[in-house]
Amino acid sequence: MKRWLLTLLMMAALLPAAQAAQTTLMARSQMPFDAALAKVQEVLAEHGYTVAHIQKCDGGMAQFGYHSDKYQLVFFGKLEEVRRVSHSHPEMIPFLPLKLAVFAEHQETLVVALDPLELGRYINDADLQIQLARWHSDLRSILQEMREAR
Amino acid sequence: MRLLIAAGLLLAWPLTLNAAPKGDALFAENCAVCHQTEGHGGIGLPLDQGRLSLLSDDYLKATIRAGRPGRLMPSFDELSDAQVTAIVGYLRSHYQAPARAYDSAPLAGDAGRGAELFAANCVVCHGADGSGQGRGTGVTISREREFSIMPPAITNPGFLGAAPDAMIAAIIREGRPGGVMPSFRNELSPQDIADVVAHVRVLGKQAADSRPNGERLELTLIVDSPYDFDTTVKNVRQALGGSNFRTFPERFLEEGLTDEFSHDQKQVSLRFCNFTQLFDLLNIEPRLGVVLPCRVTVVEHPDGKVQLIAANMRTISHWFNNDELEAVANKMADAVQAVLEEATL
Repeated sequence: MKRWLLTLLMMAALLPAAQAAQTTLMARSQMPFDAALAKVQEVLAEHGYTVAHIQKCDGGMAQFGYHSDKYQLVFFGKLEEVRRVSHSHPEMIPFLPLKLAVFAEHQETLVVALDPLELGRYINDADLQIQLARWHSDLRSILQEMREAR
Repeated sequence: MRLLIAAGLLLAWPLTLNAAPKGDALFAENCAVCHQTEGHGGIGLPLDQGRLSLLSDDYLKATIRAGRPGRLMPSFDELSDAQVTAIVGYLRSHYQAPARAYDSAPLAGDAGRGAELFAANCVVCHGADGSGQGRGTGVTISREREFSIMPPAITNPGFLGAAPDAMIAAIIREGRPGGVMPSFRNELSPQDIADVVAHVRVLGKQAADSRPNGERLELTLIVDSPYDFDTTVKNVRQALGGSNFRTFPERFLEEGLTDEFSHDQKQVSLRFCNFTQLFDLLNIEPRLGVVLPCRVTVVEHPDGKVQLIAANMRTISHWFNNDELEAVANKMADAVQAVLEEATL
């Protein structure tokens, strides 16, 4: 029962959609950085994900000539999915939990994720492809909400 | 019955995608993230009335389709013709920038003479090889740049494939209104400009010949450890310390996803960073955070085998359509490989 639903989901995610052949999924939020960072956590929770931790990448950026010091990584996932994939495919571990890079450009904020489908090009396993397609679909939905949020 | 419903849903999907595409929504989803909502530019170049008025619709469509290989802009080859036309239509109406039409015939120019003119007039911004001087694309926002708008790579196959000679000549003659590029109307005659265009085409051929061949690499570096789990973790810690990496507190892979008593204790990530390399990379590719921070994860499998696992930066460096990443990423990959080898020696 679940199997055909997941297959449908995977096929739907792989159908031609309005997107580029690229390895990242991205959204521009018109919210300023702090508000966007709070919003993205809210949207992740709405999609059933747990935020594992947030890492600041901005310490000392000004010393390196950056005009913005707002760059953070949001790590998130669902325990059972992360556990299952990390055990069945250890080569996926460097990409788990999932993450979003959130960084400021003036008064707007960019939210960027690695497209899970890109990882699927390296691993030939139907079950994993289904999981990656589900993550891809969730990320597109999350990023769409970030685009629309005001 | 289920299959019928599924098939119906799948067949209906493309129809909804193709129904009267809306250029503004497509721009917001596909373009605004790099070109900014109002087209002021960011990771991508600015889009404005002055710039767009110099360009033909065919050029814009070909640019959307082919992107800029190795220069961040992806190829949007999965968009339908109607969607591409809708985006171009949106750009034309939003910026009130009428399209120009150009003759597609090549100009008759002397590339040798053009090389001298190029060196005298163009190299200062576009570089001797026309690659745009490196250090990223787009406009200066959060990153340190030498130019307020990074000069585009005029030898990029995406650009040269989209732009007819007459359009390149028009840009040289008129400059980029509202941008940094000046008009060369008073410095260069029409024949001079044709010669420069001929030279740019020669540079473009050289650039195309030197493009990487897309070698397929492994996703992840995995090394078996001859030691037990705790010893391996200790070895990685020492190897990182000896490699001038700054290290961060170690984390269990599942940490934060469940309570502290339920983590898998045999999956621990040792996180590290070389800030100079990190900021070099972020200057070149601001989206690289999606694969940071660097980490080596030590795993003990149920059969007792211990492995060290790290992302392969050589592979990752090819994911961002950014040729400039390769050298720094390779340096980082070598450093991680050295840590893996030292920890398992």
